[in-house]
Amino acid sequence: MNDLLTDYLPLAVFIGVALAIGGALMIAPFLVAVRNPDPEKVSAYECGFNAFDDARMKFDVRFYLVSILFIIFDLEIAFLFPWAVAFGDIGLYGFWSMMLFLGVLTVGFIYEWRTGALEWD
Amino acid sequence: MPETTSFAAALPEIILAAGAMGLLMLGAFGFSDGEKSDRAGWTAILILFAAGVALLGQTGTERVFNDAFISDPFARFVKLLVLAGSATAILLSFDDLRRAKADRYELPVLILLATVGMLMMVSAGDLLALYLGLELQSLALYVLAAFRRDDVRSSEAGMKYFVLGALSSGMLLYGASLLYGFSGTTSFAGLAQAASAPGAATNLGLIAGLVFLLVGLAFKISAVPFHMWTPDVYEGAPTPVTAFFAAAPKLAAMALLARVLFDGFGGLFVQWQKIVIFIAIASMLLGAFAAIGQTNIKRLMAYSSIGHVGFALVGVAAGSAAGIEGLLIYLAIYLVMTLGAFACILAMRRENGPVEEIDELAGLAETNLPMAFILAMLLLSLAGVPPLAGFFAKFYVFAAAMKAELYGLAIIGMLTSVVSLFYYLRIVKVMFFDDAKPGFSATAPYVRFVMIAAGLFVLLYAVYPAPLVEAATAAAKSLSL
Amino acid sequence: MIYAAIVLLPLLGALIAGLFGRLLGPRPSELITTSLLVVAAVLSWIVFVRVGFDGETARVPLFRWITSGELDTAWALRIDTLTAVMLVVVTTVSALVHLYSIGYMHEDDSRPRFFAYLSLFTFAMLALVTSDNLLQMFFGWEGVGLASYLLIGFWYKKPEANAAAIKAFVVNRVGDFGFSLGIFGLFAMTNSINLDAVFAAAPSLVGKSMSFLGYEVDVLTLLALLLFMGAMGKSAQFLLHTWLPDAMEGPTPVSALIHAATMVTAGVFMVARLSPIFELAPTALEVVVLIGTITAFFAATVGLVQNDIKRVIAYSTCSQLGYMFVACGVGAYSAGIFHLFTHAFFKALLFLGAGSVIHGMHHEQDMRRMGGLAKKLPITWIMMLIGTLALTGVGIPHVGGFAGFHSKDAIIEAAYAGHTPGNFAFWVLVIAAFMTSFYSWRLIFLTFHGETRADHHTYDHAHESPWVMLIPLFVLATGAVFAGIAFHHYFIGEGYSEFWKAALFEAPGKDIRHHMHEVPGWVPLAPTVAMLTGLALAVVYYILAPWLPAATASAFRPVYLFLLNKWYFDELYNLIFVRPAFAIGRLLWKGVDGAVIDGTIDGTAKSVLWGTGRIIKLQTGYVYHYAFAMLIGVAAILTYFILAGGGGAQ
Repeated sequence: MNDLLTDYLPLAVFIGVALAIGGALMIAPFLVAVRNPDPEKVSAYECGFNAFDDARMKFDVRFYLVSILFIIFDLEIAFLFPWAVAFGDIGLYGFWSMMLFLGVLTVGFIYEWRTGALEWD
Repeated sequence: MPETTSFAAALPEIILAAGAMGLLMLGAFGFSDGEKSDRAGWTAILILFAAGVALLGQTGTERVFNDAFISDPFARFVKLLVLAGSATAILLSFDDLRRAKADRYELPVLILLATVGMLMMVSAGDLLALYLGLELQSLALYVLAAFRRDDVRSSEAGMKYFVLGALSSGMLLYGASLLYGFSGTTSFAGLAQAASAPGAATNLGLIAGLVFLLVGLAFKISAVPFHMWTPDVYEGAPTPVTAFFAAAPKLAAMALLARVLFDGFGGLFVQWQKIVIFIAIASMLLGAFAAIGQTNIKRLMAYSSIGHVGFALVGVAAGSAAGIEGLLIYLAIYLVMTLGAFACILAMRRENGPVEEIDELAGLAETNLPMAFILAMLLLSLAGVPPLAGFFAKFYVFAAAMKAELYGLAIIGMLTSVVSLFYYLRIVKVMFFDDAKPGFSATAPYVRFVMIAAGLFVLLYAVYPAPLVEAATAAAKSLSL
Repeated sequence: MIYAAIVLLPLLGALIAGLFGRLLGPRPSELITTSLLVVAAVLSWIVFVRVGFDGETARVPLFRWITSGELDTAWALRIDTLTAVMLVVVTTVSALVHLYSIGYMHEDDSRPRFFAYLSLFTFAMLALVTSDNLLQMFFGWEGVGLASYLLIGFWYKKPEANAAAIKAFVVNRVGDFGFSLGIFGLFAMTNSINLDAVFAAAPSLVGKSMSFLGYEVDVLTLLALLLFMGAMGKSAQFLLHTWLPDAMEGPTPVSALIHAATMVTAGVFMVARLSPIFELAPTALEVVVLIGTITAFFAATVGLVQNDIKRVIAYSTCSQLGYMFVACGVGAYSAGIFHLFTHAFFKALLFLGAGSVIHGMHHEQDMRRMGGLAKKLPITWIMMLIGTLALTGVGIPHVGGFAGFHSKDAIIEAAYAGHTPGNFAFWVLVIAAFMTSFYSWRLIFLTFHGETRADHHTYDHAHESPWVMLIPLFVLATGAVFAGIAFHHYFIGEGYSEFWKAALFEAPGKDIRHHMHEVPGWVPLAPTVAMLTGLALAVVYYILAPWLPAATASAFRPVYLFLLNKWYFDELYNLIFVRPAFAIGRLLWKGVDGAVIDGTIDGTAKSVLWGTGRIIKLQTGYVYHYAFAMLIGVAAILTYFILAGGGGAQ
């Protein structure tokens, strides 16, 4: 039983550190941050949401669409970085693999564009 | 760097993927707008056909991309069925979707993409390839389920399927990571080594990984207790899509399951056999009993398909070449029966739209005897009445189970198929003995074609069963047993 | 591919007429099926010449059929002389019957269906005679049974036709049961059902015994008898004969095709085909002789007193089939098949002639209401005369005669040469020949001669049949006259071994054909004498002294009634089988089914419904319930493995 606990000690330490840092970051603003609200700061965002509101509210599905489209290109970047770093080692095959991937993404992009998913109205 | 032969082994998949994207582009630029709305569907069928031709050109066994992709007779047998199932589903969709004003070119594209995923699954030789294929398939299917987005039930079906599918994918992925963690490899061949190493049977990590992996796959084939989504999704999704769901993806997932278990975990046979027997029995029982109370024919077909998955799993549980052979024959015959039955369901349509209640079939024998006859034959075949094709399907898996000395499993299977006969017969009774309701409106030619072809197949299979049996025997040899 | 064409053309016709008959209309359906059959018949004659005279034999594999364990069956055509003879008989008669039916059935509304059935039957029969293995033979066997059922019950609105169809089916089932047991047995003993393999393995089975119903019996005897049981059913032999006369409820062309020329001869064909097995089982052969003899005698006696024109011919067929079995039983397969060949011509001729009479008399079948029709139907009369001359075997000994003279007399000689105890087979067959002559001439005299007994109106409107019906009669008549004299040499004469080659098997040392030639000089004369006596008696009874039949009947009333009621077989079977079966059925229905099974089932059904309700309640429609069920499932399986110690419960 002791062995088991010893095995998990690093985990417990890690959880403790995480809690400490998280807690510290949440408490710190109350202590040190400058609080100076003005009408511009508390007014609604451009998209129409209030700055301070419940997160679980109804919103236009188009926001969702935009975020999904964003994620696709987000992932593209996530793939491109390691690719670029290892570019010297992977050679022509690696190059064309990524081109193919980008090509597939482009097909999707053209579809979005043509079907009007990028227009707000 | 892989050689060109690697790509040749994956030629059908490449054709399909390129075709799907090409069709998407064509569609986006107005290729099938308005009156020409069925152009996209026909093009998709053509692409599926081309993939089939490429498939038939392949021979032997090839393991390419670091063993992640396997092209062998087993894979080709199932792939051919999957392609046929997808093409038939598209054929069935034309009329129904046009009437529902949902005849958009995305449907064939999505079916093509799902088919690419399925072919990947069937050929997977590695956990990553498995997951890749599975997700490609699933994502396309989620969208298909909600394809009629202005229809509440269709949206609900898509939503439920997506949420539960994501859960199952998570479990599967968790299982895969456990397996990687405990064996240090993701390829089936490597897993097979780890699974047959001494002490593997007591390695809880490996077993837990296997369990999670199995659960993820069991969800895809809708085996009990991971079946709960099936009736709701079948009922909610547009009928041609349901036909597709019931046919091709089931086959692909079942083949994948067999491949993983036999090629990857042959050493843990004793362990997984227990799980498979458990879910097979649970599926057969639930499929038989829950269907009895149904009034909606699509829901009934959902339970029927759950039961059939149980029967097919009997072949897997047998763990022998005969079992795999039985499984393959079962899948082939199940595909035809299901598509035929759904063609009949699509033919249930009056002036003011499609109807789905079983009572609407009342007196069909008076208003449309040929259709009543074909539907009756298909249902009796689903129930496994000799000498129809369905009987032989069950015969082979049960024979394999008996040979593997799984007497309990075989007996429960036979008993549940007797119970299932009850609800199939009820439909037959409604069609032939109840007072006639007004006849259905004229059936679309393609739907009628599928109906008749399937009816003839189940009727005449017994006359000449040799080709299918021989192909299945050859295909079953490529799994390591 | 000519062989495959012969077999498949009728199937094509059947499919076209059956599936698209309503679309095409009756006339095109008739023309298509008939012309396909004519083509098949022409091809068959080509094959006959090639195989019989040019010495070609062939094994044509079409496709692999069923593979399961040791059972490996291909669909193949076995073409040898025996097949060629059967092909000729089947396709020729079938083509003529198709042609004839165009005229005979012209008032019927569902002609496409009729022609589809006829062609289907022909296909099944061809599949039977070309079979290369026992399973294929069984397929054809059942196929002709099915087609015959459909055709007998073709006028399904007539209750008698339905009853007759069911009777034919059920009685045949009894025979088929034996046949299938025989096939299973052969497979069990030789591990194959391919004819060549079975024949090759048969000699090794001599003297072996197996346990059957608790007795140790000789394997080959048992198997041969079981197979013969099938032949008895299909060929309407004594004890299983009752369906054939009733089958006359079907349209007359059907009777000519199925119940005279082809299907009923399937049993004879089967025994000849399996001669390598039968020859090794002498006891079984004795049974074949006995059954054949009894049938020949029994059916002839019943035929003496029947009044329905078709039933007389039906009993005559039954009796002639008995002759053929006697020939096979004594080992003279060639004589049996020769009689099968000639019999097909003259019996089909008689049936079609009778059909022509019935057609001309507006569906009157009772001979007591005919008479004097020779003036009204002169061509039919001549044709029927030729048929009768052929059936009764008119000819001059050592010179030649009508078809039946050659084949029937050969059988009678073989029966003598076969040395049955007390020569009973020989004597009974001679007596049967006498009776055959009597009832055949009785039929002719009652129908065509004397004063008419038909009512005025029918008689006046009696008319000769159209040409489309008469042409088949001419063709068949040609066969009835010349088939014997033309083929005698090849079937049973000097050309025997060149003609038959290896198609028929004779046990070495038996040499029945040799003995046939050495019978005493009076033996070949005996059937001719019997035939002439029968003719003379018929002339006395029905021309010179028409009051004699009635007087005889009342003088020997018990005998007359015994014969008229066909030896009371139907009544006997009714008493022994049918009524007890109904009684048991009623008992099971009322007692067992009502009380026990329904009670249990209803109980089960209730609990099933209850269970169903539970399961459906689980299906709430909430996603989180579903997800919960999945998690429970995972947890349950994992827990099982953890508790079982890592799944180690090996």
